[in-house]
Formats: sequence, C-alpha cells, structure tokens
Amino acid sequence: MNSTGPPTARPSAVLWSIMDDVSSQPASPELTSPVKASRGLGRLTLDVRQDLSPWKQAVFVGGSLLVGLAISVAILAAAGIAPLTLASELAGVMTAESLRGVLVQAAPLILVGLGASLAFRIGFWNLGLEGQMIFGGIFASAISIDDIGPASVRLVLMGSAAAIGGALWVLLTLFLKIRFRVNEIIATLLLNYVAINFLFHLLYGAWQDAKTAFPQSTPFRPFERLTDIGHGVNSGLLVAIAGVLVAGWLMHLSRIGFYTRFVSANPRMAKIAGVPLQALTVWIIAASGACAGLAGFVNIASQEGRLTQSFANGYVFSGVLIAFLSRNDPIVVPVVGFLIAVLFITGQTLQVFYQIPFTMVQMIEAIIVMAVASSEFLIRHRIRWIR
Amino acid sequence: MGDFLINWIANVPVTAVPYALAALGLIISERSGVLNLTAEGLMLIGALAGAGSCLMLGGHPAVALLVAMIAASLVSLLFAVLVVVLRINQVIAGLSMVFFCQGLTGLIGTLAHWQNKQLTGLADLRIWPLSEIPVIGRILFMQDPVVYLTILIFFVVNLVLFRTMPGLRLRAVGENPAASDAAGISVALHRVVAIVAGSSLIGLAGGYISVVNVKLWVTGMVGGRGWIAVALVVFARWAPWPAMWGALLFGCIEALIPHIAAAGIRVPQYLMLMTPYLATIAVMIWVGAKDRGSSREPGALGQPHVREERR
Repeated sequence: MNSTGPPTARPSAVLWSIMDDVSSQPASPELTSPVKASRGLGRLTLDVRQDLSPWKQAVFVGGSLLVGLAISVAILAAAGIAPLTLASELAGVMTAESLRGVLVQAAPLILVGLGASLAFRIGFWNLGLEGQMIFGGIFASAISIDDIGPASVRLVLMGSAAAIGGALWVLLTLFLKIRFRVNEIIATLLLNYVAINFLFHLLYGAWQDAKTAFPQSTPFRPFERLTDIGHGVNSGLLVAIAGVLVAGWLMHLSRIGFYTRFVSANPRMAKIAGVPLQALTVWIIAASGACAGLAGFVNIASQEGRLTQSFANGYVFSGVLIAFLSRNDPIVVPVVGFLIAVLFITGQTLQVFYQIPFTMVQMIEAIIVMAVASSEFLIRHRIRWIR
Repeated sequence: MGDFLINWIANVPVTAVPYALAALGLIISERSGVLNLTAEGLMLIGALAGAGSCLMLGGHPAVALLVAMIAASLVSLLFAVLVVVLRINQVIAGLSMVFFCQGLTGLIGTLAHWQNKQLTGLADLRIWPLSEIPVIGRILFMQDPVVYLTILIFFVVNLVLFRTMPGLRLRAVGENPAASDAAGISVALHRVVAIVAGSSLIGLAGGYISVVNVKLWVTGMVGGRGWIAVALVVFARWAPWPAMWGALLFGCIEALIPHIAAAGIRVPQYLMLMTPYLATIAVMIWVGAKDRGSSREPGALGQPHVREERR
C-alpha cells in the first residue's frame, strides 16, 4: 500500500465517492477526468502527498490528539464530570503524594508497553498481554506459595519465574501460528479468557486465602514484596527502566534490532539474505511475553502484595496504545507509559469519588488511538475543496 | 440421561443464535474486503441497547431487539468512517472500536443503573401441532421467534450475496477493489453499506444475549463471543451456511456447561468455562492443519482502497 512509486501524475479523486456515485447514475468510469463539472457546492477531492515536513506531521498528530482528548472530556462531561472538576482531579494527581502512585503504576504499564512494541516490531499482534501478565503473576506466586529458594534471592526467583511464565504463554500462540497458521490476533485474545479462568480456578480453589475466604492468595511475606527505593516508589520502576534500556539496546544498537527492522521491512528478502527468521521471531516474541509476565509480577508484588482476581484488568489495550503512540520505539515507551499511568490514577480517583467505572480509561485510550491513527490519513493525503 | 440430552439439545439454538448472527454479520462486511474485528464491541452495544430499551421503553422484546440493531449500526458508522474514509489500519481500527465499546457500555450501563435488572425476555413460539411431537417437538418447534428468524435471515443473506447484482458487486469490491472501481462500482459505498448491514446483525446478536438469553445486562457480558465469531468466519471460509454449522457446534459446547453442573457431574467450574475458548482454538488448529494453500479469504481483505495510489 505504500505510495513509493514515482509520482507520474497527480490525479485528483473523489473522497466522498458515496455522494459522487449516488449522483452520477448510470455509473460511468470516470478515472481520467480529474475535475468534473462543478455542481453548485463543489466537491472534496483527495490527493496523495509524497512527503510532509516533520513539523507539519507533528502538528497533525498533536492536533488530532487534542481532538481526541476534547472528545473524551466531552463524554466525561456528559457522564457528570465537569471539565473543571476533571482539571482539579488531574492537578491532584500531579501532587507529590499522588505522583508516587503514578510512578508505581507506571512500572507495569511501561513493561506491557515494551511487550507490545517488541512484538509489533516483528509484525506479531500480541494481544495476549493480559494472559501473559496473569501467567507471570501465577508463576511468581507459585514460588511464594511453595516457598522455593532462600529468602535473600526470593524476589529474583519470583521475577524470573514471572518472565518465564509470560514467555511460555505467548510462545504457545507463536507455535500455533507457525505450525498451524492460527491467526495470532484471535488466539492471543482467546487465551486471555483461558488465562483468566485458570486464575479464577486457582483463586477460588487451591490458592484461596483461608483466613479471609476472599478469592485472593495469602499475602506475600515482606521479603517477597518489591523493596522501597525511597519516597514510596518501589523497585518495580527499576525493573521497568532496566527493561527499557535492554530493549532500547536490542532494538537500536544490537544486530537483533537490525535484523528486526529488516524482517519487518521485507520478511522474504530478510530470509533470503540469511537472517535467522525463525530463531529471531521466537526470541523477540519470548521477550515480549517475558515483559508482560514481569509486568504481572511487578503489579502483584508492589501494589497488591498478593495474587488477586483483577490485577491484569485493562492492560491489553494500554499496551497496544503505548506501543502505538511510541511508534514501537522502546526508548519512547516510558514517556507514554508515564502519561497512561496518569490516566490510570485519574481513572481510579474518578471511580472512587464519582462512581465512574474504570472501563472509562479504556474508552479514552481507544479514542486517543482512533484520533492519532486518523492523523496518518491527513499526513498522507491532501483534501481539497474544488468548485 | 434422556432428559439431560433433550434439555441440552433444546438449549443449543438459544446459545447458537448469537454466534450465527454475529458471524453472518462479519461475513457480510468481510466479503466487501473490510477486516472486521469489531464484533465483540458491537455485540456489547447491542446487548446494552437491548437491555436499556427493554427497561426504558416498556419491555417489548421486539422493540428492544430493533433498538439493539439500530444502535450497533449507528456505532458501526464510526468504524466505517475510520476504515473506509480515513483508511486507518483495519486491525487497529477494529481493536480500538472493541475497547471503545467496552468502555462506553460499561460507562452507560453503570451510570443509567441498568446493571443486573431483570428483563422480561421473549416467550417461546409453540408451533402447534408439531411442538407436540415427542423429543423433536421440544427441540425444533418450541424455540423463541428469533431462532426461526435467524434461519430466515441466513436464507435471505445467502440469496442476496450470491444471487443478486448488489451481492455480486459487494463481493467484487472485496476481491478486487481496483477492478471494481474501474468498472464503475463505488468501493466506498459498498463497503459502508456492508459494514452497517453486517453490524445490524451483530447488534441483533448482542441484543439477543441480553434480552432473550441471559435476561440481564452485566458489564462485559458478551465475554469473548465476538472473538469466537471472528474465528468462526475463518472456519466457515467466509460462507454463510458453514458459519451456521460452526455456530451450532459452539452452541452445543456453551449449552453443555450449565447442564453438566446441573446434572451433578463434578467438574471444576472455571476449567469448564474455558471450553468455548479452547474449542475455538482447537477448531482454528484443525482449519490450519486441514488445508494448506487456499483459505478462500476475500482477495482484498484488510486492504484499504485509495484510487489514486499506485501499487
């Protein structure tokens, strides 16, 4: 679909070909007539742009982002949150007290964002981030519940187990894709439901907290929880930043990153040129799942301190959004991740104080993705009004 | 054992209808070349609109189902604008639509206090005297009207898609938009109509779940059935009748779950609830293992059409 061909001619065409078609009966091929006779109001036409300066691109992306946010604010206003209230809640999130919460929340979001962007880079729609988080959480909790390893290295063991759990869960889909050509979009999404039912099976069964009889595991011991690195921020953020650095190094500096760009540009060419396609895919996808698994571990070992029913809720699309807005660049992921963390914390505040359901966060995320994706159209096409 | 079987099989059409209608709606839109992942979201819209209008408009199930269809069609216009006019990547657009609808329905359902309110539902149609035939009467001739309507819809859609000029044009647009365009067929018009028409059926599927089957609105109640419908379309190779058989298969599995528990067979509940998803994956594996080569998917599936872009 890329308009890489030489610009032989620039024929105009009708954007609203619906209008056009209705009014031009019987239908006549009108391929070569660039301008039709004007009928009163004129009409919209569409040109393909060859390129656009980065500044203008930024204006289009920023503009559509603003439109998306405006729509979100309007919907919230309709739901009973006046824009001023929203502004004051946002300002509240930005205070030092809440900013800790944002940083704690940012860690798992950055990790799922990394997971998504790694997979998207190699053209694999990993939409099973929630399932991988759940299995990361389950593997980490298993280490805690079965009391494996000495206390001093317990956290490292739990983290490693979580990474392995997430990686195994996504590799299952990759195997199905390679071996049976199963579409990974549907498979990963369906496996989320399988994972969540398995989590319920554990939490309403063998792993249920005997003391409270709530569907949660027993709380982790103090040495199984992420340590405080000062100001109430825990080491989960360090895990996330380490992930960013490793992924950034992999994608920008190492040979693997070069191979990945090659494969995503042209898989057949890459294969012919001797890129180890299969091994590369397996490792990148495993890393993607491991990131999501680590996100699950960071989430349960910091905020909750135990395995809960809903610790992975709302992370799939957050991961997609973070990867999409950062253009799959690991170095940009923490910036977007931080902003989405602000959105998460604001959403939690609105849920507690204004009874706005947390799914609102997903809706705003979706609006942002739609708006920014739409700007792509304006970047690549010029709309003109012809009389 | 006999009772168990009859009760189970008699319930299959009710659980199969949402799959069948949603898959058919997806087939209509994908035949026009639009990769449609929106089913899960639009089914939620249909389910919420159906439940809401049942509560607000006096509880007529027929009105509720109609409102569900209209609501899903209206929301699908947004998807149509995104993929047909703005030519956004259809996977991104579809996913965004699903999560947008999840958020929106959660918001409206909670703020309007439609959660967990009992709905009247739809009475079964007794096709007397056929309904008095033992066993078969209960299974085939004592279902609600939508079950029979679904079969009728399948006949009509099959006829329109494969035996009429508009259907031919729609499929042509899905196979080769550039050639269709050159032949004077409006790609955008056919795609928009296909999306909206298909989405009305998806909305009906969602409305059926809340109004007729569960008789409640619960946030996120569609629970992955939309994704199963997407898989069903691949399984059915974009043809209506195979989609119907696939829907019956998933209906069998889903209908079995409550009956297993009711029959006193002790199977862990949550492992039981995984079965529809695992079965879907199993079916996809089977499809992948069976035919290497032709998947019969529409030629231009997922490709936006911009007339002036050269390839």
